Amino acid sequence: MLKLDEILVTRNWVGKPVRRKEDIRLVKGEAAYVDDLNMDCYQAAILRSPYAHARISRIDLTKAGALKGVVAVLTGQEVARETKPISARAITRPATQYVMAADKVRYVGEPVAAVVAEDRYIAEDALDLIEVEYEPLKPVVTIEDALKPDAPLVFEEAGSNVLMHDKMQHGDIEQAYREADLTLKEKFKVHRYSSTPLEPWAIIANYERASDSFVVWSNDQQHGRSLTNVCNTLGIPIHKLRLIVPDIGGGFGIKLALWPYIVILSLLAKKVSKPVKWIQTRREHLLAGSHAPDANVEIELALKKDGRILGLRITDIQNDGSFVHTAGIYGLIKFATMVGCYGIKATRAELLSIVTNKAPTVQNRGVGKPTMIFALERMVDIAAKRLGLDPSEIRLRNFVKPDQMPHTTPSGEIYESGDYPECLRKALRLVGYEESKKKRDDGRKTGKYIGIGISSGVEPGTSNLGYYYTARGLPEYTGNAEGAIVGIDYDGNVNVILGSVDSGQGHATTTAQVVADMLGISPERVSTANTMDSLISPFLGHSGVYSNKFNDVDLGAVIMATKKVRDKMLKIASHMLGASVAELKLKDGKVCLAKNEEKSVSFREIASLAYKRILLLPEGVEPGLKEIAYYKNPIAKLPNREDFNIQLTHSNSVHVVVVEVDVETGTVNFLRYVIVHDCGNQINPGIVEGMVIGSTVHGIGASLLEEFVYNEEGQLLSTTFMDYLKPTAIGVPKFELGHMESACPYTLLGTKAVGEGGSLPSLAAIANAVEDALSPFGVKVTSLPITPEKVLRAVRETKEI
Amino acid sequence: MYPNRFEYFAPTSLQEALSLLSIYQDEAKLLAGGQSLLSLMKLRLANPKYLIDLGHIADLNYIRQNGDKIAIGAMTTYAQIKDSELLRKDCPLLVKTASVVGDVQVRNRGTIGGSLSHADPAADMPAAVLASGAELKAVHLNGERWIKAEEFFVTTFTTALAPNEILTEIRAPTLAGHKTIYLKAAPRPTDFAIVGIAACLRLGPNNRCEGIAMGVTGASDKAYRPQALEKALQGEKLDFYTIREAAARVTEGIEVNENIHASSGFRSHLAQVYTARAIQTAMNS
Ligand SMILES: Cc1cc2nc3c(=O)[nH]c(=O)nc-3n(C[C@H](O)[C@H](O)[C@H](O)COP(=O)(O)OP(=O)(O)OC[C@H]3O[C@@H](n4cnc5c(N)ncnc54)[C@H](O)[C@@H]3O)c2cc1C
Repeated sequence: MLKLDEILVTRNWVGKPVRRKEDIRLVKGEAAYVDDLNMDCYQAAILRSPYAHARISRIDLTKAGALKGVVAVLTGQEVARETKPISARAITRPATQYVMAADKVRYVGEPVAAVVAEDRYIAEDALDLIEVEYEPLKPVVTIEDALKPDAPLVFEEAGSNVLMHDKMQHGDIEQAYREADLTLKEKFKVHRYSSTPLEPWAIIANYERASDSFVVWSNDQQHGRSLTNVCNTLGIPIHKLRLIVPDIGGGFGIKLALWPYIVILSLLAKKVSKPVKWIQTRREHLLAGSHAPDANVEIELALKKDGRILGLRITDIQNDGSFVHTAGIYGLIKFATMVGCYGIKATRAELLSIVTNKAPTVQNRGVGKPTMIFALERMVDIAAKRLGLDPSEIRLRNFVKPDQMPHTTPSGEIYESGDYPECLRKALRLVGYEESKKKRDDGRKTGKYIGIGISSGVEPGTSNLGYYYTARGLPEYTGNAEGAIVGIDYDGNVNVILGSVDSGQGHATTTAQVVADMLGISPERVSTANTMDSLISPFLGHSGVYSNKFNDVDLGAVIMATKKVRDKMLKIASHMLGASVAELKLKDGKVCLAKNEEKSVSFREIASLAYKRILLLPEGVEPGLKEIAYYKNPIAKLPNREDFNIQLTHSNSVHVVVVEVDVETGTVNFLRYVIVHDCGNQINPGIVEGMVIGSTVHGIGASLLEEFVYNEEGQLLSTTFMDYLKPTAIGVPKFELGHMESACPYTLLGTKAVGEGGSLPSLAAIANAVEDALSPFGVKVTSLPITPEKVLRAVRETKEI
Repeated sequence: MYPNRFEYFAPTSLQEALSLLSIYQDEAKLLAGGQSLLSLMKLRLANPKYLIDLGHIADLNYIRQNGDKIAIGAMTTYAQIKDSELLRKDCPLLVKTASVVGDVQVRNRGTIGGSLSHADPAADMPAAVLASGAELKAVHLNGERWIKAEEFFVTTFTTALAPNEILTEIRAPTLAGHKTIYLKAAPRPTDFAIVGIAACLRLGPNNRCEGIAMGVTGASDKAYRPQALEKALQGEKLDFYTIREAAARVTEGIEVNENIHASSGFRSHLAQVYTARAIQTAMNS
């Protein structure tokens, strides 16, 4: 691996809170999202099932098709004839589902027909004219419903509503139980919530009749994979589809699985002579876009009396709704870091993916880790209480120690660096732990219910994409990697084309910082195209913006491509200056002699040889100054159930939260919110801070406000922002941040993940604080969200939230 | 998010608006700030064929003294109410209430007339006009009438306004010397009320209650005055226990709402807690 000194020639930009290049454009509304693309389009609208579970006995589009301005219609039956079913990744039982329901609907909001019209208003009017007769079936809504022996089957061919059931054991769990002084077990429930990016899903599809091929513009977050999925489902070779991703207005994972709609739009485009546009409405997004699954997690600790955790067992049941493509993956990703920050040596996990008549689940920020950390960190608090230990003490006793790094967990995950105990101590210092405890204890005497909650969390990044192998044969993708093209133009300025597209992370800014320090120029001279075009961009099956891979493989590719360009420039300069490459250095946009900086050639002069006066180039050097490189994470293991690293970098953080609970109204108010975060070396501390705070707010929403509420019929009751409550700027606490920088030895810049961080430990930190505040009432928190009504009921009656 | 087809009118006089309304009747909707109507139209829950925009009628937006009352034009926005010096001095309850409606954008567009006419059972303004003893002016082609706030709210989304009437003015008595407050329980600061309590008190020596008017929103199908509670406190010395005891009567005789944000039991409980807190806060203000 390249050393930092070999990569960076200056240290002027990397590590500095450089202002984001992107913001002026975004704030002024000058971004070009799919809906902003200036194209003459027809518009599509999608008819969705009003039933959670029903047979479609008749569908008639005659009236809709006859409406003036309607140009095409599509039904589920036609889709089933024209396409292959949605491919499954993790589930092991057969389950056939098409991108549009043909004979049976499996969730409220499932597409059953589509209409293309001259404008969206007409298309929506036409939906009202479609006649569908449904024979309602008994819906399966909850995990408990789905597991009943006589439960209706969501997929008859599966013979069960459990589509994946896997058991894995690592380390000597029997011994752990033999040596344990006690075991503690608890069941936790996490509800359905999700991300709601400002820009919903958006697609324009155009069919070019002459070449019998498609061009699609979409805000797809994982286009490398989507390209294959769409082409396979349509049954066309890859070269028949050109996928273009323009600006993305927020992703959070939610745009990883919009590809079934690209299939629908492609089918529609083929029927008409203009591009067809579909912009998902907010209601569609909340109804049938993408939820994180609700889950029941049973967790058991085998402990010594001194608080040491010897073994950990989980039974994790995911309500994955109805979407065979993603079903099961939450459980598999989650299990990888089930030991959290702790040096637990033996684990057993039983993972179930349940199919129900709820909406599809897609990878939402943190993919299952918020749930896992919630259960684990709650459990650790419960253990502390039982053993009479301070919640900070039990954690310190169990954390992996800095001298044990890199640490391999029982299942093979490699925690590469970090000082977990110091991270906690630092957070306790920041909050003033002893004073906070005193304030809490004094408060109780005067009827103030203050509580302190601590939670730690490992934040994995860069998925090693073979993880679903653990349940199902050899995967289609392994490892993780990304591509980049770096070019120097005639003027000596730099253009970067990435394989991924920024959806708010600041790729252009951080890329410019790194390239600037690699070439000895200022970041203003580096521009990054925020678009991907499958015809032009350097991409792989792994390409996209997900699992915090940018700092690792995306920048890795940028670095490798920049290095190629730099090497070539040095070669040309050495020829021009008549000196060996070893005698040269890069400075202020020039290559000069290290010993005599006066003697130099500018990038522009070098470019002029590379692009124009090519006859003056040294022997054997090709014209041009543009290089492509792909970079893969070096420590990804091959899929193996016994020893496998599902994610390839591991940041960590500690949240310490102080809340006051109003026991008359059930309201939880934040008094303090302290976060100490370690994501290795920071490229841009400003961006890191934004990510940490943003993701924490996401966790606060999940803990206190956001919930997709279903009734017994499987109807979603929270389909607008009046009912699905996101946290707003008013009402979130002031965050107090501390940072640590434990460089990662396996990424080129020593960086690690930062995009999900806050959304992981925040759930448990808040729950632990609430439980602490309510300890005079003996209340235990085992579920989320912590709503005022649940608090009040627990205080007065049930003793359990 | 895509409304049905409609025709749009922008009358410049009240007379013109009333004529349009009398022509199109039930098929027409008046448009004020659009903060409720447009969302309903986008969800196709409201599908008016004709939209009559009141925004171009000049003399519907004012706040002015009128004898011992303050007159507020129906098209006055929350933001204007919130920033009115006149109201701050003489009718601070309306100012306090307008300040906690929705967010800045909603307050900049939403109007008092729109809020009252819409009669959302969880809206804030109805509670305040009830507690301040306001009267509302309804105008139709052949005349006008005044409706007491208590008689204005009929049930969810239904008021005493006839289909051919436009609400043009809210007239509130000046409440100098009164203690007032509006408190709401809401999941987020910008949300509709789970319950909202407006209180307007006149206190004599020793905290004796010489006058009390309360408005409750969010609890039921409409905003209302909790008469049993008011009666229980009228003439009493307002101490902690008296207030708490009386607060239990805030939902007496009322069928309390239930939705995903609060069961009826919890909502009743919150109504009691907020009632007691509102009275105490008002007393201390
Ligand atoms: C994000 C958001 C948050 C909100 N939060 C709150 C909140 O916390 N508390 C709260 O109380 N409200 C809240 N609201 C609703 C808001 O207060 C609306 O503005 C109000 O309900 C309607 O007033 P408007 O002027 O916008 O009326 P419109 O939406 O234009 O009209 C509403 C209805 O009243 C009728 N109407 C309007 N004017 C008249 C008139 N002069 N005569 C007869 N009929 C008339 C219309 O025909 C329509 O049926 C919120 C709205 C949004 C979008």
